[in-house]
Amino acid sequence: MPLHGEFKQPGGKLVVVDLELSDGRLTDVHVSGDFFLEPPEALDDIVAALTGAPAEAGEDDLAGRIDDKLGPDVMLMGFDARSVAVAVRRAVTDGSPRERL
Amino acid sequence: MSAAAGDTGAEKAMSARDEGAQASRFARFSPRWSEFDWQLIRTGPQAPELHMALDEVLTYEVGTGRRKPTLRIWEWASNAVILGRFQSVRNEVDPEGAARHDIAVMRRITGGGAMFIEPQNTITYSIYAPDSLVKGLSFIDSYAFMDEWVIQALRSLGVEAEYVPINDISSTAGKIGGAAQTRRGGAVLHHVTMAYDMNPAKMLEVLRIGREKLSDKGSVSANKRVAPLRQQTQLPRQTVIDRLVDTFKGLRGLTDDEILPAELAKAEALAKEKFLSNEWRYLLP
Repeated sequence: MPLHGEFKQPGGKLVVVDLELSDGRLTDVHVSGDFFLEPPEALDDIVAALTGAPAEAGEDDLAGRIDDKLGPDVMLMGFDARSVAVAVRRAVTDGSPRERL
Repeated sequence: MSAAAGDTGAEKAMSARDEGAQASRFARFSPRWSEFDWQLIRTGPQAPELHMALDEVLTYEVGTGRRKPTLRIWEWASNAVILGRFQSVRNEVDPEGAARHDIAVMRRITGGGAMFIEPQNTITYSIYAPDSLVKGLSFIDSYAFMDEWVIQALRSLGVEAEYVPINDISSTAGKIGGAAQTRRGGAVLHHVTMAYDMNPAKMLEVLRIGREKLSDKGSVSANKRVAPLRQQTQLPRQTVIDRLVDTFKGLRGLTDDEILPAELAKAEALAKEKFLSNEWRYLLP
């Protein structure tokens, strides 16, 4: 069952995470939203950083995994690694299957 | 203000500098605009997928130096929802509503939010420039910098316009439009869509506006946040567009140009192969 979480920093952009849990780890992770990211391919790195993380990983852990994966030239605007981490935590802890909001 | 024909380059640069100083904190950077020989492209209505492709092709052409820096005014041939590069189709679009209102779902190459396009309700433009224009500016500042002239044009029409970071053009009455940028191949693409008019009921049948997105907007009604230019100016759409063009021309100069046959051919191929493909449109399903 896919889990869905959203987070938006005040004044920032929406981050949406859809994922599944398999053997206690994050799988089939999708990150989307109305944020800005350069280069755009860095989205794949964010997804790779989250994939396989333990379901119980907290915000700090998840944000650290993302920051570690992104090179120094990557530019995130309207969101940051922590926004993604919060959306993941929301998906894992109280994420409902994706439905019309 | 425009430089008269007899002005020297130094005088022209000086007036651009004064303009910048009056307008804002970008005084140091504003004279850069006048270092370029700006071209204007303003054509008849074109398909949404061709617009997507033209943005990619013309950015590249300016990056290589084959094309001079250009302002392009768009005319839309049909309805569309244009998703930001990173948006999920399912999260943003109600497929039944889109089908019912004959609205194509497209994805652009820049980030940001979904735009609901009805040709006569929309004013859209792109700026393609060498990235030296925005060198030294933060990404956030470069948005406001690229649209300073638009704020000036709207104020000249009596609209109390201002830039609201990151990427909104707003007035005291509400949001007017939004910008998006990307930088590639030595060039910056900055494009903006503004609401000239709107049909909120139809928009809400097509776009999904989630609660989280509105969490810091102080309103759960999407249409209350938007203040279309028709309502604020009582002017015909083309008159508003003319004022935008005239303002740019007055500040920086602008030469009438057109899309070259080779550029159009590239864009038409890209429109078909990339922007109409399901792989791209449903890149984030």
